[in-house]
Order: sequence, then structure tokens, then C-alpha cells
Amino acid sequence: MTRIDETRRSVCLAGAALLGSALAPAAARAAQQDVFRIGALNSITGSGASYGPGMQKTILRAVSEINAAGGAGGRRLQVYAEDDQTKPEAAVLAAKKLLDVNRVQAILGTFSSGVTLAVMPLTNAAGAILMNTSGAPAITTQNVAGLSWRFEATNDRYGRAFAQAVAQGGFQRPAIMAFNNASGISNTQGFKTAWEARGGKVVASVVYEPNRPSYRSELQQILDAKPDVVVMGSYLPDTTLILREWYQSGQDVKWVMPGWAGNADLVKALGAEVCEGVRVVQTIANEGSPALAHFDEIYKAETGKDGSTSIYAAMCYDMVVTLALAMEAAGPGATTAQVNACIPKVAGGQGKPVDSFEAGREALKQGPVSYQGASSRLNFDASGDASPDFSISMIRGGEIVRQGRVSV
Amino acid sequence: MISAISLANYAVNGLVEGLLIALPALSLTLVMGIAGFANAATGDYMTVSAYAAVTMQKALAASLLLAAAGALAAGVALALLCHWLVFRPLARRPAVTSLVASIGVALLVRSVLTFFAGHDQQSIQTPLMRAWNFGGLRLLPTDLAVAGVAVGALLAVFALLHGTPIGRQMRAVADNPDLARASGIRARRVMLALWAMAGALCATGGVLYGVKAVIMPDLGWELLIAAFAAMVLGGIGNPGGAVLASVLLGLAQELSVPLVGPSYKIAVAFAALLLVLLARPRGLFGTALAAR
Repeated sequence: MTRIDETRRSVCLAGAALLGSALAPAAARAAQQDVFRIGALNSITGSGASYGPGMQKTILRAVSEINAAGGAGGRRLQVYAEDDQTKPEAAVLAAKKLLDVNRVQAILGTFSSGVTLAVMPLTNAAGAILMNTSGAPAITTQNVAGLSWRFEATNDRYGRAFAQAVAQGGFQRPAIMAFNNASGISNTQGFKTAWEARGGKVVASVVYEPNRPSYRSELQQILDAKPDVVVMGSYLPDTTLILREWYQSGQDVKWVMPGWAGNADLVKALGAEVCEGVRVVQTIANEGSPALAHFDEIYKAETGKDGSTSIYAAMCYDMVVTLALAMEAAGPGATTAQVNACIPKVAGGQGKPVDSFEAGREALKQGPVSYQGASSRLNFDASGDASPDFSISMIRGGEIVRQGRVSV
Repeated sequence: MISAISLANYAVNGLVEGLLIALPALSLTLVMGIAGFANAATGDYMTVSAYAAVTMQKALAASLLLAAAGALAAGVALALLCHWLVFRPLARRPAVTSLVASIGVALLVRSVLTFFAGHDQQSIQTPLMRAWNFGGLRLLPTDLAVAGVAVGALLAVFALLHGTPIGRQMRAVADNPDLARASGIRARRVMLALWAMAGALCATGGVLYGVKAVIMPDLGWELLIAAFAAMVLGGIGNPGGAVLASVLLGLAQELSVPLVGPSYKIAVAFAALLLVLLARPRGLFGTALAAR
């Protein structure tokens, strides 16, 4: 502060600030009421880092579109972005900051089930909305406050899609093999429940431990029951090992597995011959929908990559549109609880189908709408779980070829 | 009802797994007997060797044999390097210092490896061959190769220990370090031979594991507990005991699958270990330590 011009400038600034503060309170209070704060809590680093940055960019872009369209329910959206490091501990710290310091009314985009389950008690206590892309069944049971909305398919739905794949393949004697964790077990249990509801029977069931040098005994236990197909709740490394040992043992059986195990990396590790005929089940975007086309456009602009590379970013896009429509439905000055209560009215499957925020805002004047998202048609059920469609594919000649699409 | 053929298949699986564990277990027990501490980095020597084989195959398009030779060189080099940089300077400190240092080495080696190789799975490319079927008893050619190489490596180590002067000196140091020094045995040469042998055993184990399973940065660390259990069961410092105990633990583990299922088979192996140690605290072949 020795130079004169700088001193002069700071005096000017102080003067402006004084003047501003004299005039500001009323305006500021009005502006505060006119803002709905949301947190974008994404996995920018850690094991979810391949999806997180694109998810966060999508949220920021979608929010600026809503604001450019005049906001929702008479309010502008304001985003505070944070990194959960794909770790529950880091996520809790970030969520506390978002809720206590930034006073956000909704947190969007938690990806890993562990993160969502860790953040949920905080959002529940603060009365804030939580929108996630996680699969664990525990999220449904812990959603006691009804503030959590899941845009990814639950493991139960995966199980039902597995049952469809097995039925379409004409199999009679399925067996199940599950990696010993919540996801592996609940995927295969979901299949068992759905298959038995169809009057079928599961001939053998094995839960196996991770990081073993061999799964021959586990395989033997399954194959001794002479199944015609094995349904896997598995991950890539264990699936690689199991299929290699199965192929070498020369026994005849087919395979059904989730997309995160049966993918291009599996073919790369084992070769096309071993993987031939493996059936792969995975969630797919709301193909052919205008919302997906628009999302694809903005995702390309933000990341340079195809929208089809991140179903989770598509879910984040839908989160922002769903929230904005609910704010619109709840009307100006609505509380967080009132906005939350309006989510089923805009994405619950009842009402006029709409493809965008603007179309929904118009249609809401007549009555409830059903936002048809980019990631799925949403159709939230009473537990707050969306209902994405699944694809059933088959690996043929090393390529993963789509066989059909199923809704469950 | 479990058929005899089914049991025989489980026994084959147990035998192969046991032989695979025998390699790091032997490395662990040799180091324990001669250098006097449990080397927690044993598993990570395996991991580095396995990655060395993958790199040879990927970057240099080396044949399987050449890749294995590269892995062997990497394993021996890493073991000697750690000896020179870490364990030799600590040799005069209490054994627990070396143990803690070896945990540090393990973490460091794994972190460096992950930094360069990432978390994605790798595999050593080998031709896939169908099993030979003997009336329901299925033998995988890969498993036979793994078992054959493991047995060969174990025999080579025993031949070195019992048939060469340096082997005799190693056993002398293990038996009584003071007497060995008084008899003019040069500890420096013995230590070099020990670490070269420990590294080679780990490298062989790492490559065989890579051929049989998939390679991840945690591969060796995950095997360490099993190898440690085999060392304890066999009698600490007893090479033959470690090998036999590995096979016994492997058999107990796999043969329990039809009874308790695969989730609890590991617990069965450790329950067996516990029972043996309750009856024989020095392990199956350990000699009782005289009170000082």
C-alpha cells in the first residue's frame, strides 16, 4: 500500500462497497430467495474418475441451460462442485461442506454405492434431496426420508434382466456364481427370485472369494450339478480366471454375466474363442429419445467424447432436468420438501410424456408430466428407484453384438 | 453324495495350489532361517516378476520362455537390490527392524509398480489347451505345467542346498551362525546366494501364478498370508517342511469345498493350521528352540 494509485483505487473500492452495502440488503435478500443451491458431488479422482469429471461437467452445463431458459419455479439454480474421491470418508467431508457452508438443498451425482450410503444420513438430517447413480439394494431400504432418488437400475432389476436373458436363451437348468460382496450376491439373488417366480429352479449356487489363484473347485461344484447355463454376479478379473479354467476343462455350459464383467477387456484377455456365445446384460440409455440426442450433443461439446461412453453422465443430465421440473411444479418459494414431493409428479410415469425442461414447463400448466430422460424413461417407483432398460448382447467372433432390449 | 472322481478332482486342484504356494513359502522360510526375519516383501517380488514377464511379452514380443527368463532376472535383481540397500545395512539391528523395513519395501514396490502399470488386469499369454479327461478326472495341461515347473524349481533348490558347498554353508549359517562364522564361512557370499535363491523362487512363483490366473498389483500380497501359514506349519526355517505344509494346506482347503463350500474353505485351512500348532507349537518339522 505504498503506491499512490493503488491507495486511490482501494479508496474507490471501499467507497463503492459502502455505497453498495447501503443499497444492497433488500436486493440481496430478494436474490437469495431467488436461488436454489445444489451441490455436484462427483468422483473426480479415485476409481470412479473415468466417469466423474464428465458427470460434473454435464451437471454444470445442464444447469446453465435451465438458467438460460429463465430458471425453474421463479428461481435460478446455483451449483457448488465438489470431489468425493470415490471414497466415503472424503465424500462425507465434502457433503458436510456443501450442506453447512454452501447450504445446498440438493446433492446430485454420487456414483459409488459406498459414497451414496455414507452421504445419505447427512442429506436426510439436513432435509436435502440426494440424487445418485448407485446400485446397492441398501440404498432403497435406507431411503426412509424419501429424499433419495436413484437413476441407476437396482441389483434386483439386474436380477430380473438376467432371468429374461436366461429365458430367451431357452435354458432350463441355470446355476449361479457370485463374487462375495453385496453387489455380486444381490445380483444373483435377484436372478434367483425372478427365476423362481417364473416357476424355474436354480440347480446350484456358489459364492466365491476374491483374489484366489484358481477357481477350479468352485467351478467343479457348479458343473457337478450339470447346469445348462451359469449366471454370474462377478467382476472382470475373477470372470477371466473362471472362464479360462472352464474352457480348458472342456465342459459344455453357457454363460450370462453383467456388462462390467463381460466386455471388450474380457475378450482381450481370453481371446474370441473362449468368449464365444457369452451373454451380456447391461443397462442402456433411453435410445431414440430426444433427451438423449440433446445430452449427446452437450456431452460431446463438454468432453469431446460420445454421450454413449457415459450412461452415468446421461443420468446426471436427467437429474438436473428432473429437479428443475419439480421446482417448476412446486412453484415459486417452495421448500425443499415441497420440491421433493413434486418429483413423482414430473418423473413418476404418470402424466403427459415430455422430452425437455421447456416442454415440461409448458405442459405442467395443464397437469402432471412424465419426463422421458436421456438415461431412461425414469418412471420412479415408490422407493425412488428409476427403471432403466437393459440390453441383452452376445459375444460373437470377439464382438459384443446386441440381441435385444428388455424392460423389467 | 460325493463321488471318488469328484474328490480326486478336488485333490488335484489342492495339489496344484499347494505347489504354487510352496515357492513363496520356501523363499520365506529360507530367509527366516538364514537372515533371521520374515520378509513381508516376498509376495511383491512375485508381483514384480509377473509384471516383468508381461512387459517382455507385450513390449518385446518375447516368447514365453524368454519372458520367464526376464522375470527370473527381474526377481533376482530386485531381491539383491533390496538386500544391498535395505536389509544388509539393518543386519546388526534386531530382527523386527528388518521385518518392519520389509513391510515398507513391500508397500514401496507395489506403489511404484501401480504408478507405472496401473490397476488394470494383465495376463501372460499362453496357448489354451483342453483338459485331458481320464474317466472324469480332468487334468489341465496348464496345471500340469505349473505343477511340473514348481516341482522342478523346488528340486533345484534342494539340490543346491544339499549338493553344493554354498548350500552346505547356507545350512550351516541357518543351523548356528556363530559356529559358522568361527569355521570361516563368509557370510557375505552366503547372503548373496540366499537372496538370489529367494528372488528366483519368487520369480518362478510369480510367472506360474500369472500363467494360471490374472496379474494385478496386489497378487503377491494376497498370497503372503498363505505362504506365511505354510512356513509356520512346516516349522520355521525348515525348507522341506514349508513345501510339504503348503501342499497339505492346499489339499485341506480344496477337499473341504464339498463339505463347507468355497467361502469357508480358507477358514478350514487355517483351522487345520491352528490345530497342528496347538498340538505341536514348533510346527510339523521344526526343532524345539532351547531356552536361552
